[in-house]
Amino acid sequence: MDILVVLENNKGAIHRMSLEAIVAAQKLAAEQNLSNALLALGADTGALASAAAIYDTGEVLTVEHNLLSVYNSDGYAAALRQVIDQEKPSYVFFGHTYMVRDYVPKISAQLQRPFLCDVISLNTTAGLTFAKQAFNAKLAVDLGVASEGTVLVSFQSASFNADLISSGSAQIREVAVELDETVIKTTSEEPFQEEAGGVDLTAAEIIISVGRGIGKEENLPIAEALAQAIGGEISSSRPVVDSGWLPSFRQIGSSGQTVSPKLYFALGISGAIQHVVGMKGSKNIVAINKDAEAPIFELADYGVVGDLLEIVPKLTEAILAAKN
Amino acid sequence: MKLCVLVKQVPGSESALRIASGNTWIEDAAALFEMNESDNYALEEALRIKESLGNDSEVVVVSMGPERVQKVIREALSKGADRGIHINEMPEIKSDPFATAQVFANVIKDENFDLIFSGLQSDDVGSGQTGVILGEMLGMATATLVMATEVQEGSIKVKRELESGWFQWVSMSTPASITIQSGINQPRYPSLKGIMGAKKKEMKVVDPSTAVTPEKQQSFANIYLPTADKKTEMIEGNVDQMVSRLVDVLKTEIKVL
Amino acid sequence: MTEREILDLDVLFVGAGPASLAGAIQLKRLFNESGCKASVAVLEKASEVGAHSLSGAIFDPRSLIELFPDYKDRNVPFEAEVKEEHMYYLMKGKKLPFPYVPPSMRHHGCYVASIGKFTRWLGDRAEEEGVDIFCGFSGTDFVYDGDEVIGVKTGDRGIDKDGERKPHFEPGADIHAKVVVLGEGTRGSLTKKLIQKFNLMEGRNPQVWAIGVKELWQMPSGTVTPGYVAHTMGFPLGHDIFGGAFIYGMQNDILDLGLVVGLDYQNPGVDAQHELQRLKTHPWIRSLLAEGEIIAYGAKSLPEGGWYSLPKLTVGGAMLIGDSAGFLNGQRLKGIHLAMKSGMLAAETISEAFAADDFSAASLVSFTDKVNSSWLKNELWKVRNFHQGFDRGLLGGLINSGLGLFTGGRGWGIKDRLPSHHGHELMQKGTAEDRYTDLEFDGKYLFDKVTDVYYSATAHEEDQIPHLHIQDMDICITKCTEEYGNPCEKFCPADVYEMVQQDDGKRLQINFSNCVHCKTCDIMDPYQIIDWVPPEGGDGPGWVNL
Repeated sequence: MDILVVLENNKGAIHRMSLEAIVAAQKLAAEQNLSNALLALGADTGALASAAAIYDTGEVLTVEHNLLSVYNSDGYAAALRQVIDQEKPSYVFFGHTYMVRDYVPKISAQLQRPFLCDVISLNTTAGLTFAKQAFNAKLAVDLGVASEGTVLVSFQSASFNADLISSGSAQIREVAVELDETVIKTTSEEPFQEEAGGVDLTAAEIIISVGRGIGKEENLPIAEALAQAIGGEISSSRPVVDSGWLPSFRQIGSSGQTVSPKLYFALGISGAIQHVVGMKGSKNIVAINKDAEAPIFELADYGVVGDLLEIVPKLTEAILAAKN
Repeated sequence: MKLCVLVKQVPGSESALRIASGNTWIEDAAALFEMNESDNYALEEALRIKESLGNDSEVVVVSMGPERVQKVIREALSKGADRGIHINEMPEIKSDPFATAQVFANVIKDENFDLIFSGLQSDDVGSGQTGVILGEMLGMATATLVMATEVQEGSIKVKRELESGWFQWVSMSTPASITIQSGINQPRYPSLKGIMGAKKKEMKVVDPSTAVTPEKQQSFANIYLPTADKKTEMIEGNVDQMVSRLVDVLKTEIKVL
Repeated sequence: MTEREILDLDVLFVGAGPASLAGAIQLKRLFNESGCKASVAVLEKASEVGAHSLSGAIFDPRSLIELFPDYKDRNVPFEAEVKEEHMYYLMKGKKLPFPYVPPSMRHHGCYVASIGKFTRWLGDRAEEEGVDIFCGFSGTDFVYDGDEVIGVKTGDRGIDKDGERKPHFEPGADIHAKVVVLGEGTRGSLTKKLIQKFNLMEGRNPQVWAIGVKELWQMPSGTVTPGYVAHTMGFPLGHDIFGGAFIYGMQNDILDLGLVVGLDYQNPGVDAQHELQRLKTHPWIRSLLAEGEIIAYGAKSLPEGGWYSLPKLTVGGAMLIGDSAGFLNGQRLKGIHLAMKSGMLAAETISEAFAADDFSAASLVSFTDKVNSSWLKNELWKVRNFHQGFDRGLLGGLINSGLGLFTGGRGWGIKDRLPSHHGHELMQKGTAEDRYTDLEFDGKYLFDKVTDVYYSATAHEEDQIPHLHIQDMDICITKCTEEYGNPCEKFCPADVYEMVQQDDGKRLQINFSNCVHCKTCDIMDPYQIIDWVPPEGGDGPGWVNL
């Protein structure tokens, strides 16, 4: 196949970011008349393969081995490396997950091939170009590949829309790999959850962000309710943190975090440049502000001029209703 | 124990960024440089491990770049690192983690480090691969996104960060190359005495071009300001109408409901 | 490490600006000549030399030639020799060239320069000659032995906003030095303490100040002549506010646009950053900048009082040099060469003090004699009444200046010394007027303060006690609002001070993170209740070529 998409397991289902990688593969396949295939690697490969077989793809491969039943970077790298050697895809696509960041560079080292990571778009108007963000997302860059051969590519969350995946039907094929215990250099314990001392906002899909326009600390629950309803994280611009209404790890902007979630709600945020540089990479921006001239509206995909204290509670209600 | 810390000098987060002519990098002269944030955490972790192990441990700081990177090496020395290695820059590979790792591997392979620490990713290129590729090239165990370390004789246990507030302890024998997540510790300030002492510590300058020809895999072909070809839809009407349209957008266009 | 370090050094310069660096280099050379093994160190609050340095600037190489006779072979990073000079009087839509440019406003033989680039170069030379420069350390107080200064305390690092120690807390150090030289630049914070403690302004004219605000603009390739110099008066300041604009051509098609505004205006509503935006509405300026984009912003105060506003320059164990003392030629709009010369003369005094092993007031006072018998005094003497004439408005100031040219600097041609007044006392109560109602900030050409501040690359550790100490916040929300309309919101060029309306009234919010260390608030607040102290070492603007 030309493009191989590696599927990651998320509690027995295909990880959303793997679905997004499939969309990327389907797009490239369609535009350049290439073939694509999907690979379920590691644990629950049966379930993943069945779930994957309903998508428009050439075939679904599965790799199972007892040394892969619990994730470890050496095993995954060695197994995938063998699949690549055998199937010789031109491209291997992944979602840019923590797991991929952990094991795919090893494959790059072993194959001596480039790993283009955290890619935000692919463009086929003149050849094929992969683009990513650089300098803390302040700049964008088209990547060049120096030589012919397999290219490993991982895609940033929400760069492609999983809902655009096309359906089809595919056969499932088992692929055998040889793994030796001596290859595996790490021993992992069971994963566990912890009270996050600081939230990694960069991993959030949806962010509800508040600015000065929230008025006072007592109004924060309005935004928090929206976040709860829609399944997002709360963040803010600097003035809110400066006033002590939110802890500093929730700050977005030049002196806070830089995020590019699928959806960024800017509530009562004017759009000062210090804040904007921290969120302008967001895939979808919805801004609610009383001031029609607020610079945030230049950046927003959807803008609402109005009183957020009135609008947001109603929006929260409507969202909860829509979900039920 | 011999510990190595890879530190990178990058434009400060507040620094202006001008695209240099040729459109493959930024104008260095316009930027204010500092130590890469996660590398600073990596350095602090290495220094703490050295302090806990006692005096026969050594922390060696390595950085690649033009002469100005000696500033971050000196900063590391003033915080307690023992010696520094400055690898002269090879501009053609600076955006390629593979080739960069090759150069590092070539320069440090004979040092036989027990542990190599690097920051999770750099604030300029941000590929987050160099430490892992380097470890792989040197036959070491690797782990990324490390939020805590426990060092024993001959082995290390690390707490890896997983998505959504999950963590996992992973053990491995040394030698190992670990990439460190910001927030793992609180980096120290250099003291005046530390700064003065740093001048007496060794800083070796290495020219890699004579020893290794790295194989460039990828590069920045074109760097540009991200364009926002945004068409803003201003949602109108009374509150109920606006809310209705918003829910519609969330459902059918943004597809988060 | 939880106890304060004690470091024993020999000579400590505070502030790595041209005065200290030139002084340190000269001193190291004198020590080498005499075989003295004393150490020379410089303390700098910025994370790197030059990051907090801002000026126009037109650089007179007079002192540089003394320090480095071969400077032309040394790749000093000037922008260019001054190639063309213009003086204009601006009115709302027009620009009139000055028919006659007085010799003092001619800059041939000088260079258009960035003080930031220059101090970085000078800092490298200083380190080459054996001077230690400690960046990221702020000097917060003196160490005394009775009435003798015997050192400087550096600030603690790692204290949170409630005053508690953070896990990586590092206490400051007590640096002992036989001589402390204050080259902190304009309105130095240690300088302020020293002047107060030893009453060093007794018998002197009060210092008068101005603020300079500037933007650097990136213009299209080939459109800027390096070495282009223009100065203007008139619009937007008019006749009653001291000041004028400068436009300099730098390398790499960068245009340097700035405005100096005297901090002795009567209308408490005057806002220098807004005046700079008004300047840009002038059609000529617009035509210069139209195709460009802003790349940097900064502001700093300047001491304008001249010769008679210089404080007593020495006490036992300490000396004042550069802008901290006030060696600036307001008429020529130049001070870097004077700062350097003052540092170099201080070096001579210090070298002699070491030879005699005497660092008392009696020994160090020879610095004043050296200043008096050098060209430093000659130059400043001729313009000693320059700023003071502008008390009578623009025309008065020009006439006074003209008369001064023929009388060796006499005020109105006849008086040896014109009085000066504290600028903060000149604001008239109840007269705050908004001069900016027509100004529309579009974020691309005309910027509001918050946007301009972004381009100063200023950053502060957020979790610390604000470094702007206000003795009585009640005055801010009561008396000051009534009498002056809270001028802090206007005179601060960085939007640090904000009166925030709340349900239960107003409060003053201090956005200290925006501070560009210009010191204007310390100078201009009418009640003199604002005390600017250094924030955590390393914090502040990130200027590269301002």
